[in-house]
Amino acid sequence: MQIFKNKTNIDFISKRKPALFLSTLLNLAIIVGIAAFGFNFGVDFAGGTVVEVKFDHPITAEEVRERADKGGLPDVSVQNIGAAEENTFLLRMGGVTQLNEESGAKGKEALEALGGVRNVYSDLPNGIIRFRAAQPMDSDAVKKAVESAGIGVQEVRDLGEAQGGTGYDYQVVASGMADRVFAALNAGLEKPDFEQRRVDYVGPQVGKQLRNRGIMALLYSMVAILIYVAFRFDFKFGPGALLSMVHDVIMVAGYYLVSRREFNLTAIAALLTVVGYSVNDTIVIYDRIREDMAKFKGKPFAEVINIAINDTLGRTILTSGTTALSLIGLLIFGVGEIFDFAMAMLVGIVVGVYSTIYIASPLTIWLDERAAAKEARQRASGNVDHQQPNAA
Amino acid sequence: MDRGWWWKVGLIVAVTLGCIWFLIPTYYSLIVLDRDQRNNLAVLEERMPSWAPPAKYRLNLGLDLQGGIHMVMRVDTKTALQKRTERRAQQIVNYVNDKKLGEVAADTDPEKLEVTLTAKDPATMDAIQKEVLATFTDFKEVSRSGASLVLVQDESQANVFRTEAVDQAMLVIRRRIDKWGVAEVDVRKLGADSIQISLPGRSNAEQAKELVGTTAQLEFRMVDDSNPQFFAQLLQASPPPEGSEITLTTEGGFPQLQAPTREAITEYTKDKVPENRVVLTECIANPVKKNECTSYRSYLLDKNVPLTGESLASADANISQLNEPEVNISFDPAGAREFERLTEAGVGRRMAIVLDENVQTAPNINEKISGGSARITMGRMGGRTFEEWLGEAQTLALVLKAGALPAPVTVGEIRQVGASLGDELIRKGGMAAVLGLGLVILFMAVYYRASGLIADIALLLNGLLILAGLAFFNATLTLPGIAGFVLTLGVAVDANVLINERIREELGNGKTARAAVDQGYDRAFWTIFDSHVTALISAFILFFTGTGPVRGFATTLIIGLLASLFTSITVTRVIMTYFVHGRNAKVVSV
Repeated sequence: MQIFKNKTNIDFISKRKPALFLSTLLNLAIIVGIAAFGFNFGVDFAGGTVVEVKFDHPITAEEVRERADKGGLPDVSVQNIGAAEENTFLLRMGGVTQLNEESGAKGKEALEALGGVRNVYSDLPNGIIRFRAAQPMDSDAVKKAVESAGIGVQEVRDLGEAQGGTGYDYQVVASGMADRVFAALNAGLEKPDFEQRRVDYVGPQVGKQLRNRGIMALLYSMVAILIYVAFRFDFKFGPGALLSMVHDVIMVAGYYLVSRREFNLTAIAALLTVVGYSVNDTIVIYDRIREDMAKFKGKPFAEVINIAINDTLGRTILTSGTTALSLIGLLIFGVGEIFDFAMAMLVGIVVGVYSTIYIASPLTIWLDERAAAKEARQRASGNVDHQQPNAA
Repeated sequence: MDRGWWWKVGLIVAVTLGCIWFLIPTYYSLIVLDRDQRNNLAVLEERMPSWAPPAKYRLNLGLDLQGGIHMVMRVDTKTALQKRTERRAQQIVNYVNDKKLGEVAADTDPEKLEVTLTAKDPATMDAIQKEVLATFTDFKEVSRSGASLVLVQDESQANVFRTEAVDQAMLVIRRRIDKWGVAEVDVRKLGADSIQISLPGRSNAEQAKELVGTTAQLEFRMVDDSNPQFFAQLLQASPPPEGSEITLTTEGGFPQLQAPTREAITEYTKDKVPENRVVLTECIANPVKKNECTSYRSYLLDKNVPLTGESLASADANISQLNEPEVNISFDPAGAREFERLTEAGVGRRMAIVLDENVQTAPNINEKISGGSARITMGRMGGRTFEEWLGEAQTLALVLKAGALPAPVTVGEIRQVGASLGDELIRKGGMAAVLGLGLVILFMAVYYRASGLIADIALLLNGLLILAGLAFFNATLTLPGIAGFVLTLGVAVDANVLINERIREELGNGKTARAAVDQGYDRAFWTIFDSHVTALISAFILFFTGTGPVRGFATTLIIGLLASLFTSITVTRVIMTYFVHGRNAKVVSV
């Protein structure tokens, strides 16, 4: 069995300019889109709490939201995941703890009512209220005061006497949101008709750190692969490989941008894998170009590349095809981030084939032509220099 | 067939059998044992045949697949360091006053970790500067103008302090988790200021957060020695319930209850303790695995807490002049007075040092101690090595510091997965893997016929190698790891596609079967090698930057790619060579 019975002879290279133009346009559009709309960052990067609940009876997302609202949890986004009959929902809250601007203000009032309390400051990202008291406080009284403002208290920390005897420092650590979800959904029920299956909580600082690490990882791996390609092949292959990598990453990022699927740690893993995988096709063709360059000495570089692309077309499609085939199971049975991962990989595989043919190869030709032109110019000017003494 | 070929066949057979052998613990832990016994290595070891590999080489399921809590706690070293600077400033002022060098006021800048000393009498400043810099070596001079001297925390000292703050927090977390009696707890440092905690099989995230997120409580309590035979009499008067395994021990120098669990002791002594007394327990550490307790011993203590960690100024482990480890502690002025009163009244009694309701040690009070500085000696060396002996002193110093200057800990990350979800994910992940693999295997067999079947054999061996590799490196299989497993096999088969396409091409050029096979492998080798290297580069970077489940994905990818270099090239070639060289096949079925 064969994909192409006879050798193909498609003139890929002549269409390189319109293809490059379209790709550039698409890539720029995605970059602008990311700048304008941003990704739908998951809790991994944005911080916050996600709770997965499964009900034991049919219920709609709207009903779940209403129940949460009634139970005292506004601003919760509810999303159905998996098949409808599974009655499984993701509840996402932006807030990290039960401390927010509104409850923080109430908490401040309640604390100040205790007397002798000043410098009350709500540290929202960390979910901590700090204050200074004139005398040592009873931590139970502090806890009660803050809880009266609707903030669950995890701990009251006694930091001891402040410097110079100006007072005593305290921190009140607020409880997390997951507790509230259970209580809110369970309000008015005798026993819960749902199961809390998963809780993901990521603090804002950690989110930022994870995001930076992800971006750095992408950059590092592109640079490392570029160095490897430049070292294993001629330097003129480097830029082509790099650009096609960048192209593939942007296109996969475009998938996350357009689909509005959650951009999280798994997405970074998908991008990194695409970087490592998409360069594979490029290498297959580069290897063949190098081999053919020796075989067809004297033929124009562009023509050699076209032959190489045609010769390897079958296997480029086959290798990508088998990899795509392995992803089908994940696409069918995968839920949530695993489905997204498989989908992103699929996008990466398809655009990887395209970018190898229309980005990596043409760029190599362009670089080769420029180098040749430069060499010709130098030779020409060299000749002039050389001739001048004779003319004199 | 030449010798080299036979060697390779031997290697392949050995690797295959080795992989199967290595997967025995995995088979027993996931399939033979009940799910609640899955992580019980002792049971696993017992059930397996004697020739099986050690039980620890089993494939761990990640927390996302078996259910449990993964937490990352961030230690707020900044706040702790600021507090320490303030405290040190106070100590400098006290020191100057005590030594009668003059009178100074201290002002701290918490952001810069600076202390500004201002002398009432400018003339005394020179002497003060000299003495303070010589004594407080963790401070450096920044500037001096007239009566004011600006000092800053020495950076290297501050770094030591930061590391210590994280170690202290880790110690506190370890000891608290021990209360839960969770097997297989993993507490480790993550980066400079974070601690990662894995609690398999746990589901209450808020409870876990409370447990590890609250600040440590250090207390000094007097041991009730008025009746040293208390526990012995108690045991006689009311025998403990069947099966509680409570026994009497005098290994600590006086009668104590001993039991394998803390609950057994607290349950038994409940309502049997005199008024104003309380029973707390000490963990007797496992001599091999220091983080586990083999048993617990009871102490009868005063309910009243005369002194807490807040009064403690410093605690350091040192080696005494007699070359014995000891812990030197000092109290702030108020604490020193209280400590003097306590030691005066309690000469000959014991004072228990209690962290989070756990008795750490209960040294004897030998004499009245005034001045606020005390020494805790570490008993006899006994069967310990000197390092172990010193280590105990260092741990005690760390415990004391954790109570004296606790670094606030905030929750960075919590990921909790319920057990039922984990089971579902295993089922779905398994189906996804079987379907994806099945399609690839089917496609190869149909498209390349015999050569495809050979590639399929290599593919299955690759899968086996990945699982055995994960078990060998004690790696964990996570949900993204399953995705990585499937994807790796999809990528691994690419190598055979490249080889087979090349063989077809060479055959098309009119080469003999033998030449086509040899050239196909030789020519495709470097292409395959290069593409594997690039994929490995990004997988390694993902491994080093990723955490949790994503790291599991990277591990699977790395093992799979390395294995693929062996299976896709060597294994298939050995089989192909058998047909074209050994059997002299004239036709290659590609």
